[in-house]
Amino acid sequence: MTYDLIIIGSGPAGYVAAIRAGQTGLKTLIIDKKYVGGMCLNWGCIPTKTYLESAKMMKKVRSAPEFGIAGIDPEALSFDWPQAVKRTDAVVAKLTRGIEFLWKKNGVEFIKAEARILSPTQVQADKRVFETKNILIATGSRPAPQNLFKDSIDLEDFSSLKELPKAPLLYGQGGNLVELAQFFSLIGSKPVILANRLPLMPYLDEALETFIQKKLKKDKIPVLPEAESEIKDGMIIHKGKEYPFDKVLNVSSRKAVLPAMDIELELENGFIKTDRSHKSSVQGIYAAGDVSGRAFLAHVSSAQAMEVIEAIQGIEPPAEERQYPINVYTDPELAQIGLTESQIKAKGLDYKVSQYPLTANGKALAEGSSEGFIRVLYETKYHEVLGVQIASEHATDLISEAGILMELEGTTYDLARTIHAHPTISEIYMDAGQVES
Amino acid sequence: MRYIFKFPDIGEGLEEGKIIEWYVKKGQSIESGDALVKMETDKVVTDIPSPKSGILAVLYGGVGDTVKVGSALVEIDIPGVEGEAAVAQAKDQPEAPSQETVDEKDFAGVVGTMEIAGDGAYLPSGDEGRPAKADAPKTRKALATPVARAMAKDYGIDINEVTGTGPAGRIMKKDIEGHSKGSASVNIHVPMPKASSAERTRIEPLTQIRKTIAKNMLRSKQSTAHMSIMDEVEVSALVEGRARLNEALAEKGIRLSYLPFIIKAITLALKDHPILNAELDMENERIIYKNYYNIGIAMDTPEGLVVPIIKDADTKSLIELADAIKDLMERSQERKLTLDDLRDGTFSITSYGSIGGYFGVPVIAYPQVAIFGIGRLTEKPIVKNHEIAIGQILPISMSVDHRIVDGAEVSRFLNQVLAYLKEPLLLLAYEGGTQ
Repeated sequence: MTYDLIIIGSGPAGYVAAIRAGQTGLKTLIIDKKYVGGMCLNWGCIPTKTYLESAKMMKKVRSAPEFGIAGIDPEALSFDWPQAVKRTDAVVAKLTRGIEFLWKKNGVEFIKAEARILSPTQVQADKRVFETKNILIATGSRPAPQNLFKDSIDLEDFSSLKELPKAPLLYGQGGNLVELAQFFSLIGSKPVILANRLPLMPYLDEALETFIQKKLKKDKIPVLPEAESEIKDGMIIHKGKEYPFDKVLNVSSRKAVLPAMDIELELENGFIKTDRSHKSSVQGIYAAGDVSGRAFLAHVSSAQAMEVIEAIQGIEPPAEERQYPINVYTDPELAQIGLTESQIKAKGLDYKVSQYPLTANGKALAEGSSEGFIRVLYETKYHEVLGVQIASEHATDLISEAGILMELEGTTYDLARTIHAHPTISEIYMDAGQVES
Repeated sequence: MRYIFKFPDIGEGLEEGKIIEWYVKKGQSIESGDALVKMETDKVVTDIPSPKSGILAVLYGGVGDTVKVGSALVEIDIPGVEGEAAVAQAKDQPEAPSQETVDEKDFAGVVGTMEIAGDGAYLPSGDEGRPAKADAPKTRKALATPVARAMAKDYGIDINEVTGTGPAGRIMKKDIEGHSKGSASVNIHVPMPKASSAERTRIEPLTQIRKTIAKNMLRSKQSTAHMSIMDEVEVSALVEGRARLNEALAEKGIRLSYLPFIIKAITLALKDHPILNAELDMENERIIYKNYYNIGIAMDTPEGLVVPIIKDADTKSLIELADAIKDLMERSQERKLTLDDLRDGTFSITSYGSIGGYFGVPVIAYPQVAIFGIGRLTEKPIVKNHEIAIGQILPISMSVDHRIVDGAEVSRFLNQVLAYLKEPLLLLAYEGGTQ
């Protein structure tokens, strides 16, 4: 028997590809060595957001007296980590069960085993060899190993910690790093960020970076650039000041996890080199998600996976790369889509920025979270929106409006004339859209 | 209150018009009935009056732009009319087409709105996704992104001619870019290049009139079963009679051509052969006989063929017919014919012989069923009383729609017409009577 498609890895690229393949009638096998749902469901997106929600809840409860709720002693609050993990596990179990159900419903077979690519048409797993017409590698990535801290852990081990560190050192770069720092800060720990390099989030617009750095400063979370720091006896010394730590979390930039292979695939900076249709250098082998190194975001991986299934069926994706939102689940959340201001400048486009603060937004004030802003960057001729950045509560959901606007090549006029419900935070779009022509 | 005045269907089945001249400016105060714009429509140039009094807020389209019936022409701010009254006012616009008809073609709608946005207003709402109404004209707003629309307007591209590559065929900005690169001639704002001697072809856009002629001719040939009959008639008596009449009328400055006599002969004969003054209604499987005789006269103009009609030609005297012809002729040359002059003909006459040609096969002015063609009057030898004599020969031809008229009936009709032309005094014998 020959499969139409064997998928290695069941994260947001793999599981989405499997469901889609099954739906479109491809005979599909998906193999994962450990988890259903990969990093995203098991120790990435979902668990971290669930923990963060617990921490943000704690912050809310702490401010309950201010909202007119008596009977709560903020001083008496403590963070119950095992319970937070338990709740997280329940959320994860529910989601992974959902995926398995969808695979089954769409006729996708699943094997939990280590896979090995023997040839472009053969994959070995569970001591068997499976014949296939196509292979999709979706094995993801993990933080690059580092030599600085021997006993550091990474996100995958985080939930198995019996006890949370009191002064965690977060080492690396990127959104996860900031999210974790805030998580610890919200539950009352004293986190320290040791940044590989600055900016913390190089793919975000400077406006968001500046905003979050200010916020970290306000929350007294130190951000120490590695180059200016010294490590000595369980302490970081920066500009003569000592920062103790009791646990190191490695959140370094990521490295591809490649499956075992008896064939050679062309790599680029350690990631599988792919073309616009996600084809690798070997006919019949595709790669999607982190392993191809294009973007380290679950939703981008899923979108790539959909394109792979289309490519197998002979539908080529549009030539241009798609727009996708980048979300950071900080407090408040950050979200961005499209071009950053420096990217627009580099392209030499005539543009303007319409920035609008949250301080005048009724809903944000009612919720007690009026920190933040929206920035709409548009070109000056047709007012087409080129990029949107939001720092706000619910920013990660709010950004979707900009997504559809930009997918449809919308303008500031379209934003301004769309009636937004009042009171909502989304009204900031309407406000930002009202620009002079 | 903002009143949007859409280009109304001022004729029957009018689809579009071209802006020749704006008489008004944005911001100007106007009275109901004031002429807004001079439009060239199918075959006529006419002034479009304002249906409301107020201040002109927006003018859509520039000189030379084509406007579809149902597309916004102007927006008028009517002071002091608000709420329900405004709605009522909007509703009483005559023949206001449904919103669905708003069409991107050339200029209307969103493409003309970047200027409005500049005034602090927003883009007028689009019509995408609205259900089509059964009686709405066929044109639909093209599915396109806001930027693509603005670019199409900028580049002078008819967005309806662009193939969209986005989801569901949506026209994206790259489609406009591709279109503008692909065809240089689409830019209707750029004057057409004049042909140099080196060029082997010259491209000229079709005028409204030519478009209409092309459409009507093709429709006639495709919708009817053309059949033609030709004959000659010796008209010495008519030639002589006309000369005597003209001599008698000379002091009144009246001069008759042969056409009034022919019209008279035809209207008289039509009364005996009503099938030739009818219309076939295939859809409802019936024939509509017309008890009025509106005779269309084909006229050559610099812009092309027009066929204005003489209304109730059967009730007019020869002199009145001559006046009517003269009037139509003058107005057709000056492009002052109205839509009323052009519609509801029941039978047509074409005199190709006045320029040259002996026999012709005329094309029926659909949905009429017959057309009478007149060739060049020629002196020819004839046999008269067993001797060769010089005769005045008028060649004629006639095309009919064989779906409802058979050859025998046409011959009988022609015999009667030719008899009147051969002996014009017979016209007097039957004129005014019912037999």
